[in-house]
Amino acid sequence: MATVVAALHRLSAPPVQTLRTLQPTQATVSYTVSTRPEATTVAAKLRFYTGITLRMLLALAVALLAWTRWCAGRETPAVALSWILGHARSEELLQLVSRLPWRYLVPACLCVVYLALRRGYTVEESLLVLRGLGLQTSTTSSIYLRTPTTRFIPTPSVQDIFIHEAFKGFEVRFYLAVVVKGEEDVVVVFPRLLPNRGILEDVWRGSRRCLWEDTGRGKGKDRGREDA
Amino acid sequence: MVSDNFYPQPGGVESHIYQLSSKLINRGHKVIVITHSFKGRKGVRYLTNGLKVYYVPFWTVYRETTFPTVFSFFPIFRNIVIREQIGIVHGHASLSNLCNEAILHARTMGLYTVFTDHSLFGFADAGSILTNKLLKFTLSDVDHVICVSHTCKENCVLRASLDPLMVSVIPNAVVAENFRPLSHESIDPRRDSAPGPPQPLGPNETITIVAIMRLFYNKGVDLLIAAIPRVLAAHPKVRFIVAGTGPKAIDMEQMIERNMLQDRILLLGAVRHEEVRDVMVQGHIFLNPSLTEAFGTVIVEAASCGLYIVCTRVGGVPEVLPNHMTEFAAPEEDDIVAATGRAIAKLREGKVRTDLFHGQVKQMYSWTDVAERTERVYDGVVGAVGSEDFYGGDAARGHPGVRSFALIDRLKRYYGCGIWAGKLFCLCAVVDYLLFIILEIFAPRSRIDICRNWPKKIFERAKVKNTRPAEDSDGMPRRRDLRH
Repeated sequence: MATVVAALHRLSAPPVQTLRTLQPTQATVSYTVSTRPEATTVAAKLRFYTGITLRMLLALAVALLAWTRWCAGRETPAVALSWILGHARSEELLQLVSRLPWRYLVPACLCVVYLALRRGYTVEESLLVLRGLGLQTSTTSSIYLRTPTTRFIPTPSVQDIFIHEAFKGFEVRFYLAVVVKGEEDVVVVFPRLLPNRGILEDVWRGSRRCLWEDTGRGKGKDRGREDA
Repeated sequence: MVSDNFYPQPGGVESHIYQLSSKLINRGHKVIVITHSFKGRKGVRYLTNGLKVYYVPFWTVYRETTFPTVFSFFPIFRNIVIREQIGIVHGHASLSNLCNEAILHARTMGLYTVFTDHSLFGFADAGSILTNKLLKFTLSDVDHVICVSHTCKENCVLRASLDPLMVSVIPNAVVAENFRPLSHESIDPRRDSAPGPPQPLGPNETITIVAIMRLFYNKGVDLLIAAIPRVLAAHPKVRFIVAGTGPKAIDMEQMIERNMLQDRILLLGAVRHEEVRDVMVQGHIFLNPSLTEAFGTVIVEAASCGLYIVCTRVGGVPEVLPNHMTEFAAPEEDDIVAATGRAIAKLREGKVRTDLFHGQVKQMYSWTDVAERTERVYDGVVGAVGSEDFYGGDAARGHPGVRSFALIDRLKRYYGCGIWAGKLFCLCAVVDYLLFIILEIFAPRSRIDICRNWPKKIFERAKVKNTRPAEDSDGMPRRRDLRH
């Protein structure tokens, strides 16, 4: 019984979120919340790169298959193929491939390519704070090769940064939000991951310090808000 | 504290919850209010003093007590309870669906529950029977019940077949500062000046009678409509101010037109709660012809404004104020006219010291006192006060004290509710328990973020320490969570 419960616990557990902070200068800080496990050991690094290589090989193989099928469809002999494999074997291969109907081949290929491009972890979201310039939120897409969604807010437009709670599904979650001048809605930082309170508080403190430390603004003004 | 009734919607229960919560916060507790979302108000809000309110968004029909709703509230309720580290769940108002559900879920989760009843109900009609059954369901597994008056307690005990020892009476209170008579404004409040000699009203001075109520049948509007022309006919130097609105407003206007009384009756229509005092101080007598009333906060407010009270002897009304402030009548036309006549005569003779009422009411009713008494109930429920102390010496014997949370004990209590209802209630309880187990597996406590507490002011903490040295010596942090 206990093992079943433990297994269910593990199965239903959301991926572990980690916060990575990068602060090259006093005036710049970047917070990244990610569900990707950090590769620190050699084995983990090896696994990561092997995975990438395998994905590339898989995508390549699928592309090759599609190309061969295309060649088989054309009446003219495929010069490149016969040059690689030899004439007899390439004929054999073409015959084999031509039996595959396009109808199934195309969706299957697309599916495999998609799986190969999909990230193993769900998502990575970050907040970049630059003193004097502004802050930028970004959310990576769940597929490789696609650019992340970003949003830049210049410092004069940033009115406040606070942590609050809201109902989300069947629970109440904390979120970090930026109030932008002239906008009805706040901008939620880390909108998909909604990390836990500990992470949010670190980010909140750090980004306020980075944005407003010098002017002294907001030093104790919103202490209550944080606890909110 | 859990209830469907809360601000921004105005009302008596709403202000009760708000006042009690803020006073409990002052006493060092942590109070959370859970209510459903209103139009344009959803999510988590903070009110003055750090009172946190969860406006739970609900897409289901509210007023209906549907069984699917019963369980759909559980996950979110559990989440809130865990993140806020709630220890006691306090439900308000028996018609509130949210309150009934919350008490059921809280018991499933092994929390202590307290329930406050604010209203009286009948026994005979179909609606009442259903409501009473529901109440019985909720209350058969509650730790303690609070009623606002002794009549309400009697009613509640009968309706839900409770052990009377489980029911405490803690009256409502008023914020006396908001209901000061006119003369008080000129006097320095810090100085306790001795009351001057009584100033009787001359026979030619006009006496103003105020009636403020929502114009519904149960508030006795029909009685008022019948009585006003007779009172005015008998006493020439009297005028009325009637404030409030409702379905009976048309009847009231017709009465005025039929008797040509436009110059002697002032109809004000709807009055907001903060304006009530301004209306009250214009009068000398407050007339409350209500047919049923659990407590009657408005009477206390009127008395605090220095008005002499004429009211019907119904429900919890007679317990509310001492005899020298009120003139009672039976809820019938003749008696109300007679009582009003007596009141006018007394005022003319200067027999009543209405100018002293404010101070007296202020001493009788205060929210701080209500909070203290509620706190004692909480202590009794969790076992901090011995059951002998709490229930009285003799009563403690044979009384189980703190009720067992074991499922089988709860089922036993539910089973006794009725032939069919008992089985249905048991089913509900069992389903609820299964749901609880499923939630514990798929959304375990460890995954729920704990909230930070509202930072308390230091001087308040010091005050609490001074008044409760025994508590602090235990090393137990005195944080109690309640939800209205």
